[in-house]
Amino acid sequence: MLILGIETATEQVGVALGGHEGVIASFEVVRGRRHAETLVPSIQFMLRQADVELDELGCIAVDVGPGLFTGMRVGLASAKALAQALRIPMIGITSLDLLAFASRHSDRVVVPVIDARKSEVFWAMYRQVPGGVQRVSEPAVGPVDELVADLLARSQDALCIGDGAARYRDEILEGYHCEVSGPVHPSAAALVELAHARALREDWVRPNEIEPVYLRAPDAQINWSVREVRP
Amino acid sequence: MLLRADSLASTHAIAAALAGLARKGDVIVLAGEMGAGKTAFAQGFGRALGVTEPITSPTFTLVHSYDCPGKLTLHHADLYRLDRMVELDDLALHELAEFGGIVLVEWGDVAAAGLGEHLEVRLRRDDSDDSDVTDGADDADDVDEFGLDEARLIELHATGRAWAGRWDRLARELEGYRC
Repeated sequence: MLILGIETATEQVGVALGGHEGVIASFEVVRGRRHAETLVPSIQFMLRQADVELDELGCIAVDVGPGLFTGMRVGLASAKALAQALRIPMIGITSLDLLAFASRHSDRVVVPVIDARKSEVFWAMYRQVPGGVQRVSEPAVGPVDELVADLLARSQDALCIGDGAARYRDEILEGYHCEVSGPVHPSAAALVELAHARALREDWVRPNEIEPVYLRAPDAQINWSVREVRP
Repeated sequence: MLLRADSLASTHAIAAALAGLARKGDVIVLAGEMGAGKTAFAQGFGRALGVTEPITSPTFTLVHSYDCPGKLTLHHADLYRLDRMVELDDLALHELAEFGGIVLVEWGDVAAAGLGEHLEVRLRRDDSDDSDVTDGADDADDVDEFGLDEARLIELHATGRAWAGRWDRLARELEGYRC
Protein backbone atom coordinates (compact mmCIF):
# COMPACT_ATOMS: atom_id res chain seq x y z
CA MET A 1 0.00 0.00 0.00
CA LEU A 2 1.33 3.43 -0.92
CA ILE A 3 1.23 6.37 1.47
CA LEU A 4 1.35 9.98 0.36
CA GLY A 5 2.91 12.28 3.00
CA ILE A 6 2.15 16.01 3.09
CA GLU A 7 4.23 18.34 5.26
CA THR A 8 3.58 22.10 5.36
CA ALA A 9 4.05 23.05 9.02
CA THR A 10 7.07 25.27 8.40
CA GLU A 11 8.26 27.40 5.49
CA GLN A 12 9.01 24.19 3.67
CA VAL A 13 6.53 22.38 1.46
CA GLY A 14 7.38 18.68 1.49
CA VAL A 15 5.72 15.67 -0.12
CA ALA A 16 6.84 12.06 -0.09
CA LEU A 17 5.61 8.69 -1.26
CA GLY A 18 6.37 5.28 0.15
CA GLY A 19 5.21 1.95 1.47
CA HIS A 20 6.57 -1.53 2.12
CA GLU A 21 9.64 -0.82 0.00
CA GLY A 22 10.44 2.32 2.01
CA VAL A 23 10.32 5.89 0.70
CA ILE A 24 10.24 5.79 -3.11
CA ALA A 25 9.97 9.52 -3.86
CA SER A 26 10.12 12.83 -2.09
CA PHE A 27 10.15 16.48 -3.08
CA GLU A 28 10.86 19.37 -0.75
CA VAL A 29 11.12 23.06 -1.46
CA VAL A 30 11.93 25.65 1.18
CA ARG A 31 12.26 28.93 -0.61
CA GLY A 32 9.45 28.56 -3.03
CA ARG A 33 6.22 30.41 -3.40
CA ARG A 34 3.40 30.29 -0.90
CA HIS A 35 2.22 26.90 0.36
CA ALA A 36 -1.09 27.09 -1.51
CA GLU A 37 0.63 27.58 -4.85
CA THR A 38 3.36 24.98 -4.33
CA LEU A 39 1.72 22.00 -2.68
CA VAL A 40 -0.58 20.53 -5.31
CA PRO A 41 1.87 20.97 -8.22
CA SER A 42 4.52 19.29 -6.03
CA ILE A 43 2.24 16.29 -5.46
CA GLN A 44 1.49 16.07 -9.18
CA PHE A 45 5.17 16.32 -10.10
CA MET A 46 6.24 13.66 -7.63
CA LEU A 47 3.51 11.19 -8.58
CA ARG A 48 4.30 11.64 -12.27
CA GLN A 49 8.04 11.11 -11.77
CA ALA A 50 7.36 8.02 -9.63
CA ASP A 51 4.82 6.80 -12.21
CA VAL A 52 2.12 6.44 -9.57
CA GLU A 53 -1.55 7.23 -10.12
CA LEU A 54 -3.67 8.84 -7.41
CA ASP A 55 -5.91 5.76 -7.19
CA GLU A 56 -2.93 3.65 -6.16
CA LEU A 57 -2.69 5.55 -2.87
CA GLY A 58 -3.90 3.69 0.20
CA CYS A 59 -3.45 6.35 2.87
CA ILE A 60 -2.67 10.05 3.26
CA ALA A 61 -0.29 11.09 6.05
CA VAL A 62 -0.13 14.72 7.12
CA ASP A 63 1.93 16.84 9.49
CA VAL A 64 -0.69 18.29 11.87
CA GLY A 65 1.64 20.90 13.39
CA PRO A 66 2.32 22.81 15.51
CA GLY A 67 3.75 25.32 13.05
CA LEU A 68 2.69 27.98 10.58
CA PHE A 69 -1.06 28.59 10.56
CA THR A 70 -0.96 29.53 6.89
CA GLY A 71 1.00 26.40 5.96
CA MET A 72 -0.99 23.95 8.05
CA ARG A 73 -4.25 25.27 6.69
CA VAL A 74 -3.15 24.46 3.15
CA GLY A 75 -1.62 21.08 4.04
CA LEU A 76 -4.53 19.82 6.11
CA ALA A 77 -7.19 21.05 3.71
CA SER A 78 -5.45 19.47 0.72
CA ALA A 79 -4.72 16.21 2.55
CA LYS A 80 -8.30 15.90 3.79
CA ALA A 81 -9.75 16.70 0.38
CA LEU A 82 -7.60 14.05 -1.28
CA ALA A 83 -8.40 11.41 1.34
CA GLN A 84 -12.10 12.20 1.14
CA ALA A 85 -12.17 12.06 -2.65
CA LEU A 86 -10.13 8.85 -2.81
CA ARG A 87 -12.04 7.33 0.14
CA ILE A 88 -8.85 6.37 1.95
CA PRO A 89 -7.84 6.77 5.63
CA MET A 90 -5.47 9.34 7.12
CA ILE A 91 -2.66 9.41 9.65
CA GLY A 92 -1.75 12.64 11.43
CA ILE A 93 1.69 13.09 13.00
CA THR A 94 2.97 16.17 14.81
CA SER A 95 5.81 18.28 13.44
CA LEU A 96 7.67 17.82 16.75
CA ASP A 97 7.50 14.01 16.40
CA LEU A 98 8.85 14.27 12.85
CA LEU A 99 11.81 16.42 13.86
CA ALA A 100 12.62 14.20 16.82
CA PHE A 101 12.39 11.05 14.71
CA ALA A 102 14.98 12.45 12.32
CA SER A 103 17.44 12.69 15.25
CA ARG A 104 16.59 9.27 16.72
CA HIS A 105 20.24 8.18 16.60
CA SER A 106 21.38 10.90 18.99
CA ASP A 107 22.20 9.79 22.53
CA ARG A 108 21.03 13.11 23.99
CA VAL A 109 17.58 14.34 24.92
CA VAL A 110 16.19 15.48 21.56
CA VAL A 111 14.35 18.80 21.69
CA PRO A 112 12.59 19.83 18.49
CA VAL A 113 12.06 23.61 18.53
CA ILE A 114 9.73 25.13 15.95
CA ASP A 115 9.41 28.86 15.32
CA ALA A 116 5.96 29.98 16.53
CA ARG A 117 6.51 33.59 15.37
CA LYS A 118 6.02 36.68 17.50
CA SER A 119 9.15 35.71 19.53
CA GLU A 120 7.76 32.35 20.65
CA VAL A 121 8.66 28.72 19.96
CA PHE A 122 6.97 25.32 20.14
CA TRP A 123 8.97 22.53 21.75
CA ALA A 124 8.86 19.08 23.38
CA MET A 125 11.45 16.63 24.70
CA TYR A 126 12.13 13.11 23.45
CA ARG A 127 14.34 10.22 24.45
CA GLN A 128 15.56 7.28 22.41
CA VAL A 129 13.69 3.98 22.43
CA PRO A 130 14.37 0.97 20.20
CA GLY A 131 13.34 1.87 16.66
CA GLY A 132 12.63 5.55 17.30
CA VAL A 133 11.96 8.18 19.93
CA GLN A 134 9.42 8.68 22.67
CA ARG A 135 8.08 12.01 23.83
CA VAL A 136 8.76 12.64 27.53
CA SER A 137 7.22 16.11 27.94
CA GLU A 138 3.99 17.75 26.86
CA PRO A 139 4.35 19.94 23.75
CA ALA A 140 4.68 23.55 24.89
CA VAL A 141 4.59 27.04 23.42
CA GLY A 142 6.23 30.12 24.89
CA PRO A 143 9.09 32.60 24.67
CA VAL A 144 12.62 31.23 24.30
CA ASP A 145 13.46 31.84 27.98
CA GLU A 146 10.70 29.40 28.96
CA LEU A 147 12.35 26.79 26.76
CA VAL A 148 15.69 27.57 28.42
CA ALA A 149 14.08 27.26 31.87
CA ASP A 150 12.66 23.89 30.83
CA LEU A 151 16.12 22.74 29.67
CA LEU A 152 17.70 23.95 32.92
CA ALA A 153 15.05 22.17 34.99
CA ARG A 154 15.94 18.86 33.34
CA SER A 155 19.71 19.53 33.17
CA GLN A 156 20.39 16.75 30.70
CA ASP A 157 22.57 16.59 27.61
CA ALA A 158 20.28 18.05 24.99
CA LEU A 159 20.15 18.43 21.22
CA CYS A 160 17.91 21.26 19.98
CA ILE A 161 16.78 21.01 16.35
CA GLY A 162 14.35 22.80 14.05
CA ASP A 163 13.78 26.24 12.57
CA GLY A 164 13.09 27.71 16.04
CA ALA A 165 16.37 26.34 17.36
CA ALA A 166 18.21 27.80 14.38
CA ARG A 167 16.53 31.20 14.70
CA TYR A 168 17.12 31.51 18.45
CA ARG A 169 20.42 29.63 18.56
CA ASP A 170 22.28 32.39 20.46
CA GLU A 171 19.54 32.89 23.07
CA ILE A 172 19.34 29.15 23.71
CA LEU A 173 23.12 28.73 24.00
CA GLU A 174 23.38 31.78 26.24
CA GLY A 175 20.97 30.21 28.71
CA TYR A 176 21.86 26.53 28.48
CA HIS A 177 24.90 24.60 27.35
CA CYS A 178 23.68 22.15 24.72
CA GLU A 179 23.99 21.24 21.07
CA VAL A 180 21.94 23.21 18.54
CA SER A 181 21.77 21.83 15.04
CA GLY A 182 19.67 20.87 12.04
CA PRO A 183 17.70 19.39 10.37
CA VAL A 184 15.81 22.62 10.15
CA HIS A 185 12.47 21.39 8.77
CA PRO A 186 10.35 18.31 9.46
CA SER A 187 10.86 15.79 6.68
CA ALA A 188 8.05 14.46 4.50
CA ALA A 189 10.06 11.25 4.06
CA ALA A 190 10.14 10.76 7.85
CA LEU A 191 6.39 11.39 7.84
CA VAL A 192 5.85 8.52 5.37
CA GLU A 193 8.19 6.22 7.33
CA LEU A 194 6.42 6.88 10.62
CA ALA A 195 3.00 6.65 9.01
CA HIS A 196 3.88 3.34 7.41
CA ALA A 197 4.62 1.78 10.81
CA ARG A 198 1.20 2.90 11.96
CA ALA A 199 -0.55 1.89 8.76
CA LEU A 200 0.66 -1.70 9.31
CA ARG A 201 -1.37 -1.68 12.54
CA GLU A 202 -4.26 0.05 10.75
CA ASP A 203 -3.79 2.82 13.28
CA TRP A 204 -5.45 5.43 11.12
CA VAL A 205 -8.52 7.71 11.17
CA ARG A 206 -11.16 9.18 8.90
CA PRO A 207 -10.42 12.56 7.31
CA ASN A 208 -12.91 14.35 9.58
CA GLU A 209 -11.03 13.14 12.66
CA ILE A 210 -7.76 14.84 11.71
CA GLU A 211 -7.29 18.07 13.68
CA PRO A 212 -4.46 20.60 13.59
CA VAL A 213 -2.32 20.98 16.71
CA TYR A 214 -2.20 24.73 17.22
CA LEU A 215 -0.89 24.92 20.83
CA ARG A 216 -1.92 28.51 21.03
CA ALA A 217 -2.43 30.79 23.97
CA PRO A 218 -5.72 30.39 25.86
CA ASP A 219 -8.60 32.00 24.00
CA ALA A 220 -9.91 35.37 25.11
CA GLN A 221 -12.72 37.65 24.10
CA ILE A 222 -11.63 40.59 21.95
CA ASN A 223 -12.07 43.71 24.01
CA TRP A 224 -14.71 45.53 21.99
CA SER A 225 -15.86 47.51 25.03
CA VAL A 226 -13.52 50.29 23.91
CA ARG A 227 -15.75 50.81 20.88
CA GLU A 228 -19.01 52.56 21.64
CA VAL A 229 -20.34 52.26 18.12
CA ARG A 230 -20.21 48.51 17.64
CA PRO A 231 -23.68 46.94 17.89
CA MET B 1 3.41 62.16 15.33
CA LEU B 2 0.17 64.12 14.90
CA LEU B 3 -0.86 65.14 11.39
CA ARG B 4 -3.80 67.03 9.92
CA ALA B 5 -5.28 66.14 6.54
CA ASP B 6 -7.70 68.80 5.32
CA SER B 7 -9.15 66.69 2.51
CA LEU B 8 -9.38 63.19 1.09
CA ALA B 9 -6.47 64.04 -1.21
CA SER B 10 -4.23 64.91 1.75
CA THR B 11 -5.27 61.69 3.51
CA HIS B 12 -4.20 59.80 0.40
CA ALA B 13 -0.94 61.76 0.28
CA ILE B 14 -0.11 60.91 3.89
CA ALA B 15 -0.95 57.25 3.23
CA ALA B 16 1.29 57.32 0.16
CA ALA B 17 4.22 58.75 2.14
CA LEU B 18 3.83 55.94 4.67
CA ALA B 19 3.55 53.35 1.87
CA GLY B 20 6.77 54.67 0.39
CA LEU B 21 8.66 53.82 3.58
CA ALA B 22 6.79 50.61 4.44
CA ARG B 23 8.55 47.33 3.74
CA LYS B 24 7.87 43.62 3.68
CA GLY B 25 7.08 42.38 7.17
CA ASP B 26 5.30 45.53 8.37
CA VAL B 27 1.98 45.30 10.22
CA ILE B 28 0.09 48.60 10.24
CA VAL B 29 -2.99 49.04 12.42
CA LEU B 30 -5.68 51.42 11.22
CA ALA B 31 -7.60 52.66 14.26
CA GLY B 32 -10.57 54.98 14.47
CA GLU B 33 -14.33 55.04 14.67
CA MET B 34 -16.72 54.15 11.89
CA GLY B 35 -16.34 56.73 9.15
CA ALA B 36 -13.00 58.03 10.41
CA GLY B 37 -11.36 57.21 7.08
CA LYS B 38 -9.65 53.85 7.64
CA THR B 39 -10.62 52.38 4.29
CA ALA B 40 -9.87 55.68 2.53
CA PHE B 41 -6.41 55.55 4.06
CA ALA B 42 -5.96 51.95 2.88
CA GLN B 43 -6.94 52.98 -0.63
CA GLY B 44 -4.32 55.72 -0.76
CA PHE B 45 -1.77 53.32 0.71
CA GLY B 46 -2.51 50.57 -1.81
CA ARG B 47 -2.50 52.85 -4.79
CA ALA B 48 0.94 54.12 -3.78
CA LEU B 49 2.19 50.52 -3.70
CA GLY B 50 0.97 50.05 -7.25
CA VAL B 51 -2.32 48.26 -6.63
CA THR B 52 -4.52 48.94 -9.64
CA GLU B 53 -7.58 46.88 -8.65
CA PRO B 54 -10.25 48.65 -6.60
CA ILE B 55 -9.48 48.38 -2.87
CA THR B 56 -12.72 47.59 -1.09
CA SER B 57 -13.62 47.09 2.55
CA PRO B 58 -12.72 43.59 3.80
CA THR B 59 -15.26 43.72 6.65
CA PHE B 60 -17.17 40.67 5.46
CA THR B 61 -14.34 38.72 3.85
CA LEU B 62 -11.82 39.44 6.66
CA VAL B 63 -8.72 39.73 4.46
CA HIS B 64 -8.22 40.99 0.91
CA SER B 65 -4.83 40.40 -0.71
CA TYR B 66 -3.41 42.40 -3.59
CA ASP B 67 -0.27 41.56 -5.55
CA CYS B 68 2.00 44.58 -5.99
CA PRO B 69 5.11 45.11 -8.11
CA GLY B 70 8.33 43.84 -6.53
CA LYS B 71 7.03 40.44 -5.28
CA LEU B 72 5.13 42.27 -2.58
CA THR B 73 1.61 41.43 -1.42
CA LEU B 74 -0.60 43.95 0.35
CA HIS B 75 -2.99 42.27 2.79
CA HIS B 76 -5.91 44.39 3.96
CA ALA B 77 -7.63 42.90 7.01
CA ASP B 78 -10.61 44.01 9.08
CA LEU B 79 -11.23 42.66 12.59
CA TYR B 80 -14.69 44.21 12.98
CA ARG B 81 -16.51 40.88 12.71
CA LEU B 82 -14.20 38.96 15.05
CA ASP B 83 -15.16 38.21 18.64
CA ARG B 84 -12.39 35.98 19.93
CA MET B 85 -8.61 36.07 19.88
CA VAL B 86 -8.41 32.56 18.33
CA GLU B 87 -10.13 33.99 15.25
CA LEU B 88 -7.34 36.53 15.01
CA ASP B 89 -4.77 33.72 15.39
CA ASP B 90 -6.46 31.92 12.51
CA LEU B 91 -5.82 34.87 10.21
CA ALA B 92 -2.07 34.54 10.99
CA LEU B 93 -1.47 38.14 9.93
CA HIS B 94 2.12 38.01 11.13
CA GLU B 95 2.86 35.12 8.84
CA LEU B 96 1.34 37.01 5.91
CA ALA B 97 3.66 39.93 6.72
CA GLU B 98 6.70 37.74 7.12
CA PHE B 99 6.26 36.09 3.73
CA GLY B 100 6.72 39.13 1.53
CA GLY B 101 3.70 41.07 2.72
CA ILE B 102 2.61 44.34 4.23
CA VAL B 103 -0.52 43.98 6.37
CA LEU B 104 -3.04 46.74 7.05
CA VAL B 105 -5.41 45.88 9.93
CA GLU B 106 -8.61 47.90 10.36
CA TRP B 107 -9.81 47.94 13.99
CA GLY B 108 -6.50 46.28 14.91
CA ASP B 109 -6.20 48.39 18.07
CA VAL B 110 -8.82 46.28 19.90
CA ALA B 111 -6.55 43.25 19.66
CA ALA B 112 -3.14 44.94 19.60
CA ALA B 113 -1.66 42.35 21.98
CA GLY B 114 -2.24 39.66 19.38
CA LEU B 115 -0.51 41.55 16.60
CA GLY B 116 3.04 41.91 17.87
CA GLU B 117 5.21 44.81 16.76
CA HIS B 118 3.29 47.27 14.59
CA LEU B 119 2.68 50.86 13.55
CA GLU B 120 -0.63 52.38 14.62
CA VAL B 121 -2.36 54.93 12.43
CA ARG B 122 -5.20 56.50 14.42
CA LEU B 123 -7.71 58.52 12.42
CA ARG B 124 -10.43 60.82 13.68
CA ARG B 125 -12.50 63.64 12.27
CA ASP B 126 -11.18 67.08 13.04
CA ASP B 127 -14.07 68.76 14.84
CA SER B 128 -12.21 72.03 15.04
CA ASP B 129 -12.68 72.38 11.29
CA ASP B 130 -14.87 75.49 10.94
CA SER B 131 -14.74 75.67 7.15
CA ASP B 132 -17.26 72.85 7.05
CA VAL B 133 -20.19 74.51 8.82
CA THR B 134 -23.54 73.41 7.39
CA ASP B 135 -24.69 76.04 4.97
CA GLY B 136 -27.97 74.55 3.81
CA ALA B 137 -26.34 72.70 0.90
CA ASP B 138 -27.22 69.28 2.32
CA ASP B 139 -29.36 68.25 -0.58
CA ALA B 140 -26.94 69.39 -3.24
CA ASP B 141 -25.73 66.66 -5.63
CA ASP B 142 -22.17 66.72 -4.41
CA VAL B 143 -23.01 66.21 -0.76
CA ASP B 144 -20.22 64.24 0.90
CA GLU B 145 -22.49 61.59 2.40
CA PHE B 146 -19.79 59.65 4.28
CA GLY B 147 -17.74 62.65 5.27
CA LEU B 148 -14.79 61.26 3.28
CA ASP B 149 -13.60 64.65 2.21
CA GLU B 150 -13.74 66.13 5.69
CA ALA B 151 -10.66 67.20 7.57
CA ARG B 152 -9.20 64.55 9.82
CA LEU B 153 -6.43 64.17 12.35
CA ILE B 154 -4.03 61.29 11.83
CA GLU B 155 -1.77 60.16 14.63
CA LEU B 156 1.14 57.78 14.01
CA HIS B 157 2.59 55.68 16.80
CA ALA B 158 5.09 52.82 16.45
CA THR B 159 5.48 49.95 18.90
CA GLY B 160 8.78 48.05 18.91
CA ARG B 161 11.82 49.04 16.91
CA ALA B 162 10.76 48.30 13.33
CA TRP B 163 10.10 51.95 12.47
CA ALA B 164 12.91 53.54 14.53
CA GLY B 165 15.26 53.78 11.56
CA ARG B 166 12.58 55.27 9.31
CA TRP B 167 10.97 57.69 11.71
CA ASP B 168 13.09 60.77 10.92
CA ARG B 169 12.60 60.38 7.21
CA LEU B 170 8.86 59.87 7.67
CA ALA B 171 8.68 63.01 9.81
CA ARG B 172 10.53 65.00 7.14
CA GLU B 173 8.24 63.78 4.36
CA LEU B 174 5.14 64.60 6.38
CA GLU B 175 6.44 67.96 7.63
CA GLY B 176 3.74 69.87 5.74
CA TYR B 177 0.97 68.04 7.56
CA ARG B 178 2.33 68.29 11.11
CA CYS B 179 0.27 70.05 13.73
